[in-house]
Amino acid sequence: MQNNNPTRKGLSAEESRALCQKVLSFAKADHTRVNVDSGVHLFTRTAINRVTTAGATEDVNVRVTSVFGKRIASIDTNRLDDASLERAVRDSEALARISPENPEYMPELGEQRFSEVNAYYASTGDLTTESRARASSIAVKAADAAKVMASGFIDVSAGSSGIATSNRLFGYHSGTGVASTLTVRTLDGQSSGWAGDEGADWTTIESERIAADAVRKCQQWRGKSALEPGKYEVVLEPTAVGMLMLRMMNVFDARQAEEGRSFLSKRGGGTLLGEKLFDERITVVSDPTEKNAETSPFTNAGLPVQRETWIENGVLKTMSYSRFWADRKGVAPKPAGTNFIMSGGTASVDDMIKETPRGVLITRFWYIRGLNPRIVSFTGLTRDGTFLIENGKVTRPITNFRFNQSLSELLANVQVMGRPVRVCASESSTVGPPVVVPALKVKDFFLSSVSDAI
Amino acid sequence: MENTLGRREFVKIAGATGAALATGGWQEALAWQARNAPGPDAAEKDLVLLALDAVKSAGASYADVRITRGNQESVSTRERQITGVSKSETYGIGIRALVGGSWGFAATRDLRRDSVARTAREAAAIAAANNKINPVKTNLSSVRRVPDGRWITPHEIDPFTIPIEEKAQLLFKTNEEALRVKGVRFVTSSINSIKESRLLGTTEGSIIQQTYFRLGPNVTVTAVPADNSDFQTRGAALAPMGKGWEYVVSLQMPENVLRWAEEAVMKLSAAPVEPGVWDLVLHPSHLWLTIHESIAHPSELDRAMNYEANYAGTTFLAPPEKVLKRFKLGPDFMNIVGNRTEAGGCATTGWDDEAVPAQSWPIVDKGMFVNYQTTREMADWISDITKMKDSQGCSYGQDWSSIPFPRMPNVSLMPNPKDISEDEVIAATKKGIFIEGDGSYSIDQQRYNFQFGGQIFWEIKDGKRSRMLRDVAYQARTPEFWNAMSLIGGKSTYKLGSSFSDAKGQPVQLNAVSHGCPVTLFRNVNVINTA
Repeated sequence: MQNNNPTRKGLSAEESRALCQKVLSFAKADHTRVNVDSGVHLFTRTAINRVTTAGATEDVNVRVTSVFGKRIASIDTNRLDDASLERAVRDSEALARISPENPEYMPELGEQRFSEVNAYYASTGDLTTESRARASSIAVKAADAAKVMASGFIDVSAGSSGIATSNRLFGYHSGTGVASTLTVRTLDGQSSGWAGDEGADWTTIESERIAADAVRKCQQWRGKSALEPGKYEVVLEPTAVGMLMLRMMNVFDARQAEEGRSFLSKRGGGTLLGEKLFDERITVVSDPTEKNAETSPFTNAGLPVQRETWIENGVLKTMSYSRFWADRKGVAPKPAGTNFIMSGGTASVDDMIKETPRGVLITRFWYIRGLNPRIVSFTGLTRDGTFLIENGKVTRPITNFRFNQSLSELLANVQVMGRPVRVCASESSTVGPPVVVPALKVKDFFLSSVSDAI
Repeated sequence: MENTLGRREFVKIAGATGAALATGGWQEALAWQARNAPGPDAAEKDLVLLALDAVKSAGASYADVRITRGNQESVSTRERQITGVSKSETYGIGIRALVGGSWGFAATRDLRRDSVARTAREAAAIAAANNKINPVKTNLSSVRRVPDGRWITPHEIDPFTIPIEEKAQLLFKTNEEALRVKGVRFVTSSINSIKESRLLGTTEGSIIQQTYFRLGPNVTVTAVPADNSDFQTRGAALAPMGKGWEYVVSLQMPENVLRWAEEAVMKLSAAPVEPGVWDLVLHPSHLWLTIHESIAHPSELDRAMNYEANYAGTTFLAPPEKVLKRFKLGPDFMNIVGNRTEAGGCATTGWDDEAVPAQSWPIVDKGMFVNYQTTREMADWISDITKMKDSQGCSYGQDWSSIPFPRMPNVSLMPNPKDISEDEVIAATKKGIFIEGDGSYSIDQQRYNFQFGGQIFWEIKDGKRSRMLRDVAYQARTPEFWNAMSLIGGKSTYKLGSSFSDAKGQPVQLNAVSHGCPVTLFRNVNVINTA
């Protein structure tokens, strides 16, 4: 495929295909599937205004899945010599033979047509130690100048994945991802601010802006004071929204809903398909070709991933079906979304603040954990910049809060939407499934208790 | 496995590790290890020495090299069917180099000699590049050279010798028993077996071969009423352990699942908890996680020094000069130890990733915060206060591809010297809730405000366990919570709880760790209803 760049990380399509075919040539099972994931992981960490660690790791993982009838098992290995690969195939087959039958096993897929996705950006794949150190220095210098402390992380992955089956399926995808995040704290530990970007393309990462925003947040949050817990109108910056919506990525599963184990289950049986669940401006799609939020166009089993509209104008439009459940229900299989893309509006965060009589501005969250799957409720805490809004203005920094909030209620309570952007939605700031969301103004967000954390 | 212990010897060695603090039995265990644990593979040792030579030639003043081979096997089921059988092996070399005061790390799966040498030079080059742009100083505490260190998890039965069918049959039998209980609609169960070989070499001349076994069994029962109006789950809270297959056998999953299944069904009709102030009696299957989050993480020195500010966060136990030997974290009978020698502990080892021997030390002594967890780079930062020059051995990288950095040891709450039983702790409670199993958990980035759910909640009325409650979570501020500890159970109530996947660091790494604790009573804790 499109692999003429000698510095490109991960196996090329040809190398990937050759490796898959070699593995298949050893196979004696009824069916065999091979997944090959390869590439590099690069990182640079800063803390207390210095680079603390940096590194580079390269790996190739081969997964062999063997099937006899409905007996199935898999082996992962990163040893690529012929003898090791053949042993992996033999081990996988031995394991499959002795495995109990899986009545839900679906036969391996044959040739498939996948969407064309160009997800590999050389700007990211070619990043060097020096260029990451220079980007980190921007934050360190800004922090030094402001007499505050920078702790940051630049996380880079670049590589490819290939899949082949004994039924002649072959798929190849290569991609890159980068996240750059920065926490700035005052020397006395009394204030903290955060900013970050994530993308597939390094040129979309704005190191200067990240440094300036994190320093500004830290300076503005200094001198926080208490606010009573309770239900507030909140203005959620895009990262805060993304961290919550990451939890909505896998909730549209039909089987869970039909088995009575999901917030999409209907009391008395059935599901909420076709019903209006959220504010009518909410539309949620997933699309592997979304620019700077690209994902693989196939699943690990080789099922094509296509653009899907899960929620349209607040109505549940479709649910995901595993191949087994789709077969049982007589519908086409539909994998869960690989990214999360929400509709938006035109308001800026400043616009939202201007029309808020009394509310709370939230930068991001931390330690989000599930509470009640029936209402998709979560708990977690605000972090790195929380402010009181009064009469259309940010009036003072306030303490952090724990929240207890149903996301389904949150999406029903949306008042104003901003422009969608890709955000770094993982708490660890490692590159994750792409999440593209707007800033939101939401009513009745439950800030349940005060947190003293800074 | 080539080094399976006989039953008698196993009991002796495993018992010795548990009693290490009191009796010095750890030394005896190490002597056994030196005689019986496998030594390094000759080819791997050659590669480690080659990497050490290459990284030194490339300018590193210090380096450590790890070759790890991680084997994992997982069998999972739901109801009467298999949902997954898999094995994985990951094998490679990682080199951490110090040039000037800067660290660089490089790792590869390609173990050909030229690749190993190239990767070693790359580690030094990464360190040098950072040191040029941002020069810093780093001091490493000294450590005794270990020319031929050997250690293996004490175990009777290598879990990889048990056939997959046998593991699956055990799970099916467990599921079948659970499905006999009316109201139970779903059961999932799984067994995760881990074996890891880790060969460490340092430029200071240490060569240490260690082999670990860990087992993670799991059962979750889901009850659904006929009209689908609700569902409730009971996760069995089976602690992962650093032990052999004998541990899984000892759990008697098919026998015990009946109780878990009945509890899942009972949860459907349990009384919703009345929010407010309650006394809490916390079982070890629950309390381990509260210790993990509110004591073990806050006492990591790298957090106190802002090294984890961008992810895991900092800590309320900071700065060191203001809290060490000054911060009263709990009552006088509260004693917490960091312990890499705890029998069965997931973080139990012979040496850490910097060749520092395993040890145990007080973190909280008679309620006073007295020490952090340190590595060789960090020991010096607080030695003026602690009067300790040496590292406590908390350096760990999750595998060959991950840079070693500060990770927690097993951190445990010591039992009452008097043998107070679970019933006696409950009897001391007038209006309370007895919580078993870990549930939802969340804590802020300085470890003040936490909220924990659980699996099963029993109301305690006038010293007796009564009806089941549901939708319980408690929310507290760490120092107030621990100072509200009122009674600790004795040794007979002491158990380990564990996790295979404690996340920290950027790039994020997982650490396996255990926390021991007895049944414990806390007064006047704020309880919320999560429904």
